Amino acid sequence: MLFTKTSKLAEIVHQNYLLIPIISRFGIKFGFGDKNVEQVCKQYQIHTDFFIEIINTFNDKEYTPSKKLRELPLNITVNYLLKSHKYFNQVKLPIIENLIHQLKWENADNKNNKLILDKFFNEYRNEVIEHTSNEEKEVYPFILEIEKNFHKTRADEQFLNVLSKKSIRKYADTHDELNSALLDLKNIIIKYLPPADNNEITNQILQEIFGLEKDMEDHTKLEDSVVVPAAVMMEKELRKQLDK
Amino acid sequence: MSMGKLSFIIAENSYIIRTGLVRIINSFSEAVVLKEATELNSLIKIVNKHKPDFVIVNAKLIADPHDDIRTLFSDNLSTKFIIFVGSRRKNEHFVHFNEKISVDDEKTEIIYKIQNLIISRLPTERSDEGNELSEREKDVVKQIALGQTNKEIAEKLFISTHTVITHRKNITGKLGIKTVSGLTVYAILNNIIEIDEAV
Repeated sequence: MLFTKTSKLAEIVHQNYLLIPIISRFGIKFGFGDKNVEQVCKQYQIHTDFFIEIINTFNDKEYTPSKKLRELPLNITVNYLLKSHKYFNQVKLPIIENLIHQLKWENADNKNNKLILDKFFNEYRNEVIEHTSNEEKEVYPFILEIEKNFHKTRADEQFLNVLSKKSIRKYADTHDELNSALLDLKNIIIKYLPPADNNEITNQILQEIFGLEKDMEDHTKLEDSVVVPAAVMMEKELRKQLDK
Repeated sequence: MSMGKLSFIIAENSYIIRTGLVRIINSFSEAVVLKEATELNSLIKIVNKHKPDFVIVNAKLIADPHDDIRTLFSDNLSTKFIIFVGSRRKNEHFVHFNEKISVDDEKTEIIYKIQNLIISRLPTERSDEGNELSEREKDVVKQIALGQTNKEIAEKLFISTHTVITHRKNITGKLGIKTVSGLTVYAILNNIIEIDEAV
């Protein structure tokens, strides 16, 4: 199913409740009545085309973000990516951590399970924090600099100097490690961890992990198919000034 | 995630029927439709190329469905062929095909037929033992969990680095765990190492 700007937002939520965190990431709160996407976006001063692209990308895994998205100012997308980081680090990961702490094993043989799982999760969490903060401190500012200079008739000397030393290409795709760790965590819980006494917590943990994984996949898709290609294209143009 | 799934190629010129067949096949978790064809020549090409487990072909697309269909394809193909027929031919018997599906089949009939075909093709080592680590692989997991590099593992176990890498690939394939921390967790949970040995 494809959503458009005349789709009612309430209908979108009914169709796919997994979109709830995405919608709230835009700052939209419930109680939006029968307003359609365009009306809600106007109310919250959200770029409508961007919102639609994000919703469709998340909703349908076959959907690839259209060219329109690449033509929008990159700071719109980067802003959204920053909000996702915040959501991963400040909402999702603490929820999972908290659930892991709630797991119980009465049997003495299994007393270490929580410790082991907790350690693995903490390592993963630190990797996510390291990865996202590197993007926030290095990659995104660099991308926004590229864009800013691209729109100038002549790029700043200082920036051209930076460009002679580094390229956006070197940042392309370093997500494999993070994806593998999440996949490992799923398999450890599904296949190898002895059942906890409070199995419903295990169910919740798995649900949360699957949700996080999907969210992160789309996050990566946005970076790899929108932000990075747009920045690469602009950088290529800017490099022509470098040769002069 | 098509790894390990049984592959189907469907040859059918009616869009409605083709879509229906694809949908039915894909509803089985062990099966996936690889390609679709609408006429015989392209079917021959893609079957020779992809060597699927099964081909479903409409009788209308074949000159004479009572001839041996295998002669049309390259040799040593282990593909099973299923014929799809309309109402008029539903009682005919086709000796050269492994199964017959008719447009008049009820849901239970068609599901039953496909299920049997799938079962006939599932590898027998797909039982639990198939995914258990060998003693050698356990040795490798132990060394990984102890924080050893491929080179160090190779020296310790008197094997080549290349062999260590092959073991690691097989371990990941069997367990579904790839990272060093993940394998460490596995090793502790399965008493391959003690918790205080882990790095």
